[in-house]
Amino acid sequence: MNRKTKKTVYKAVKETIFYLFVTGLIGAMLLPVYFIISLSFLSTREAYRYPLPLVPALQTKFEMTHGERGYLLSVYDRVEKDYQTVLDTSELEKMEVYIKSQLGTSISQEEIQAEMDRLDDSGEDSIFFTKPRNLLYNYDTFFKVTRDAVPALIRSLEIAALTILISITIGGLAGYAFARYIFKGKDALKFSVLFVRMFPGVAIALPMVIILAKANLYDEPLGLSLIYSVGAIGLTIWITASIFMGIPESLEQAAQVFGATKFQAFMRITFPLALPGLAASAMYTFLGAWNETVGAIILTQFKPTFSVVVYQTLLGASGQVNLAAAGGIAMALPAVFFTFFIRRYINQMWGGVTV
Amino acid sequence: MAATKPKSLRKKLEKATPYLLVLPVVAYYAIFWLRPVIAVVIGSLTDANGALTLHNFAMVLNDEKFWPAFNNTAIIVVASVTIEFIGALFLALLINRKFFGSSIFLFLTLIPMALPAVATGAMWITGFTAHGWLNSLLYYLGFLAEGDKIYWLGGLEANTFKLLVLVILVDAWQVIPSMMIILLAGLQNLPEETKEAGYVFGGNYMTVLRKITMPMLRPTIQTAVILRLISAIQIWLIIVLLLGFGRLPVLVERIVYYHEEVPGLDISYQMSAGYTIIVSVIVSLTALVYLRASGAFKKEEAA
Repeated sequence: MNRKTKKTVYKAVKETIFYLFVTGLIGAMLLPVYFIISLSFLSTREAYRYPLPLVPALQTKFEMTHGERGYLLSVYDRVEKDYQTVLDTSELEKMEVYIKSQLGTSISQEEIQAEMDRLDDSGEDSIFFTKPRNLLYNYDTFFKVTRDAVPALIRSLEIAALTILISITIGGLAGYAFARYIFKGKDALKFSVLFVRMFPGVAIALPMVIILAKANLYDEPLGLSLIYSVGAIGLTIWITASIFMGIPESLEQAAQVFGATKFQAFMRITFPLALPGLAASAMYTFLGAWNETVGAIILTQFKPTFSVVVYQTLLGASGQVNLAAAGGIAMALPAVFFTFFIRRYINQMWGGVTV
Repeated sequence: MAATKPKSLRKKLEKATPYLLVLPVVAYYAIFWLRPVIAVVIGSLTDANGALTLHNFAMVLNDEKFWPAFNNTAIIVVASVTIEFIGALFLALLINRKFFGSSIFLFLTLIPMALPAVATGAMWITGFTAHGWLNSLLYYLGFLAEGDKIYWLGGLEANTFKLLVLVILVDAWQVIPSMMIILLAGLQNLPEETKEAGYVFGGNYMTVLRKITMPMLRPTIQTAVILRLISAIQIWLIIVLLLGFGRLPVLVERIVYYHEEVPGLDISYQMSAGYTIIVSVIVSLTALVYLRASGAFKKEEAA
């Protein structure tokens, strides 16, 4: 081997090790996420088995025999690696409900009847059959059974949109001032962004109940978004200041030379250039408002947000882990979706931010 | 005359522009932040009948869970900010190498940040229960014998130390991405030439990192750490989701405990208000000490 090939081999080995390391790191980081996703697809029966199956089943295997009260239904248990009796009945409806709700498997009464007939006709002791799982059963149930899930989802979107509107307008104006002007009290205001965060958010939510109630905004989406904006405005100021600092002021001045007013120069030049960064900042605000739970628990009563609904499924009396997992995943989806876009603008958003 | 008047008006307007731009923020903070804060401050200084008193703070300091809560919070803050900073810096340096697929890698590392606290709670609760996925995984990997279970959150050996370690790890898992974002942006804005110069003069990766990258990254590090420090002291939700109230008391958990769990008690409002003020003072002092020690103020004066 000459030196050149040696070097290439060395480089290839180094790169392979590097990518193995990176993959391993991501695998370890996202392992918990994998399990919650997997759990959201498990049937209720399997979700409470130990050890928990590592992957959701795609189909359910049944065994049917004659029982004392009618037909004896057994299900293949992946943990015990054997069929386990679950039901002894001749009622079609009872069997259908059990198979659907506990095993998350789609089946109709006609199909059950057909299998029963097959057992009777065959003259054998037992018959076996397989049905496909309804993988979306938990998601379906979460939205159907959980009271309020859909209206709460709409409310959460409304709150997030209002929060974005308030914080981008108010915070964006201040962010522009931070980026372009030197003025008295600038430093104090910069620190106030930190200062606002030093007071526990929960503690603010408590007296806010009374203040909002007086304004008839308690238990209203607008009321919640007003509270969320307190935290969001601070970050928006920092992020938008960073974005505007990245756009040269000379561009605006050039437009003014050509007769545009300062406002026109901003609207025609700076604003379009800042738009992607502002959108990323808005998504950041969305994450905060969408995910917030504690303030929503305190400040809502009959109009909960989606996060509150998921919280109640998780910890409430009707709590069921696989349903809660499905709710959690449904909630995480839009947030993860936005994160995919945000990642491009990290530099623009945070590049100019310093204490 | 007629020509100068609008001109001076315009000049005045120009001077006033920045103040007009920040006016909405100031007004907003006054209404939606200062007002509730004042309400809590008044609440902390008055007794149930509305008379002025300092007794509330004495009650808080004599609360049997105050010092455990204080100590737990302190341990969590020191450990988690350290771990999270090291982890975030490591990830940021890794992603900043811009290898093939680093953009997807970045997205994947950001996922914990995007998950709502409830989803994270559900994830770790189902992981840490005795029949949860963590034990199942250990069993499949052969680390746990059949029928053997680790009682992560409970059991006889559930001591504070073990719970603290779990909470710190879970918190780090969720928080590292948001810290990493800030550090990564800072790294990407450093001029390449300075680093190259370091290599030209014979520095290896570690020397360049220590002598060039880190000092230049200092303002960014200050930002990332101060934001993290402020929220780390206020940790409570993940603890309550995992352990419920009272098992691993922390300061902000006490605020919520007195307000939400034991409401209607004569002293519950006073207690939670007292705790709130104490937490805010601790957060402000810590932030001040950190900013002073890290030299953030000096830079401000020099500029």
